[in-house]
Amino acid sequence: MRINGGDTVNPASIKPMTSRQRVMAALRREPVDRTPVCNPTSVATVELMDLVDAHFPDANRDPVLMARLAATGYTELGFDTIMPVFSIIQESSALGCKMQWEQKDNWPTVRMREPIWTDVDDIKVPKDFMKHPDIVCVLDAIKLLRREFGDEVAIVGKTMGPWTLGYHCFGVEPFLLLSLDDPGKTMLALDRMKEITYLFGLAQIEAGADALTLPDHATGDLVSAEYYKRFLQEMHTEFAERFPAPLILHICGRTVDRMGYIAETGMAAFHFDSKNKPQESMETVHGKISLVGNINNPETLFSKGPEEVRAEVEANLAAGVHLVGPECAIPLQTPIENLTEISRTVRDWHHAHPHVH
Amino acid sequence: MAELSDIKNATIRAEIEEFVTRPEEIARNVALFTRAHERMQAIAAGIIDGDDDLVDKLTTEAIEAGHEALEVMDDGLIAGMGVVGIKFRENFIFVPEVLACARAMKAGMKHIEPILSASGVEPIATVIMGTVKGDLHDIGKNLCIMMLRGSGFEVIDLGVDTSADAFIDAIETHGAPIVGMSALLTTTMPNMGKTIEAFIDAGLREQVLVMVGGAPVTQEFADDMGADGYGKDALACVSLAKQLIEAKRRNAPA
Repeated sequence: MRINGGDTVNPASIKPMTSRQRVMAALRREPVDRTPVCNPTSVATVELMDLVDAHFPDANRDPVLMARLAATGYTELGFDTIMPVFSIIQESSALGCKMQWEQKDNWPTVRMREPIWTDVDDIKVPKDFMKHPDIVCVLDAIKLLRREFGDEVAIVGKTMGPWTLGYHCFGVEPFLLLSLDDPGKTMLALDRMKEITYLFGLAQIEAGADALTLPDHATGDLVSAEYYKRFLQEMHTEFAERFPAPLILHICGRTVDRMGYIAETGMAAFHFDSKNKPQESMETVHGKISLVGNINNPETLFSKGPEEVRAEVEANLAAGVHLVGPECAIPLQTPIENLTEISRTVRDWHHAHPHVH
Repeated sequence: MAELSDIKNATIRAEIEEFVTRPEEIARNVALFTRAHERMQAIAAGIIDGDDDLVDKLTTEAIEAGHEALEVMDDGLIAGMGVVGIKFRENFIFVPEVLACARAMKAGMKHIEPILSASGVEPIATVIMGTVKGDLHDIGKNLCIMMLRGSGFEVIDLGVDTSADAFIDAIETHGAPIVGMSALLTTTMPNMGKTIEAFIDAGLREQVLVMVGGAPVTQEFADDMGADGYGKDALACVSLAKQLIEAKRRNAPA
């Protein structure tokens, strides 16, 4: 019979696992008692905010609120992971980017049209970067969650990759044009920014994170697969070697054309978007990396009902996707019943397929 | 009938041969570039190469040589961007390359726009464009705006993070028949639907056509949100805007 991802195993040898054990095993592509349910980006919703009285924007800046809202992924939705870093802006805020913190029903964002850097020599990490409240908030939230949940559930941190930091700090358009006009300078910029990725990520592991999501948005909607290979593959390999915890690379949009390169980096997992078919994606990565995903957000989780969610979850399970969950951070107005349907379907499916692990 | 070999500019010939595969697009581009003056072909080739300095120089020279601004725009700049759009749609090139081509187009348009404005040419229609509330991404929207303007539309650009109220104010102020909304994030896409609901609440929905786009947006999502049309890229946006406005005028009471 099949283990998580495709090999075979004796079912009697697999004992019931805690959520944490299940996630960590799936990240290593080892047998699991059932497929873990995971969102390495965010499952925060307005309904969940109301439920635990922890609202945006404060839940992005106050560790107690951050931990409380994040915990609902496990306690209310039945996911096997807790992800306290809802947004992608904590370190950009600490670097000095202009921020728009928004309200309860909108995501905080970086004002990328007002970039803080225009040249490689501008790249400087503020001396008090690790003491910035938006950095400390994440570290404290992870510590709180670890204290509360012990070994029960996997706590996943998040640190932005240098490509995404480039968008935030240089602006998307200037950064993409720089990559075309001066690839050497772009590499130098990435090389300098990667230390920010490392610094923040390592601190989260030290605070108690079991794994890290590393979003680095070199998506097929913006750049070619060759771009990924040229600018990022080696750097991502270096991250996988340097970080003392499993890494989950996250890139939205079309990525199947670069999954072969991603699979060679040594990252534990890749969080993939619904624009990529589960079966084709599994075949592309050849068992070299775990896949996490890829329930569609806008059309399924946000707009449709549990029946459609169930169908997508089952398609992922049938394809052997290692950890099942939404394709990206979910829209804040996503109904809870659609999210709970993910874990319900995974349990039901494994009940109906007892030999699949 | 014109043949590919009739096009004098070698870059244009090679680009069509290598990257344009749909028969109707080959025919249209061969016809266009065969008819276009050699100077226009060179401008289009400069656009396709993303060479802003060259396009700046060639556009200046063309105007000084007595070519009409409309000719330079249609047969040089827009014709070049047409090939760029096809290459982007077919994934031969990606956003950085398109941005470089757009930069070259801007270098040419800066010489053309003042002449066109002074000539008093009537726009096809006014389009209100903006990225929805909570979303600060605008590359795709800006490409659409550039192509819409180049194709004869007047565009009111509301920028990024546009509230429903800002869209409504702009529709009322400018009497625009079309609104284009963009979103890059799956987390902000629902704000398209909210904005359309706000148009309904404001009693404006019947008078305005809504088109939506952005990397994660699909036709299905556009239909679910109640939009009138979806454009996958800047070329599709222009063609959709033309279709919508033609249909609206056809259906207007005499």
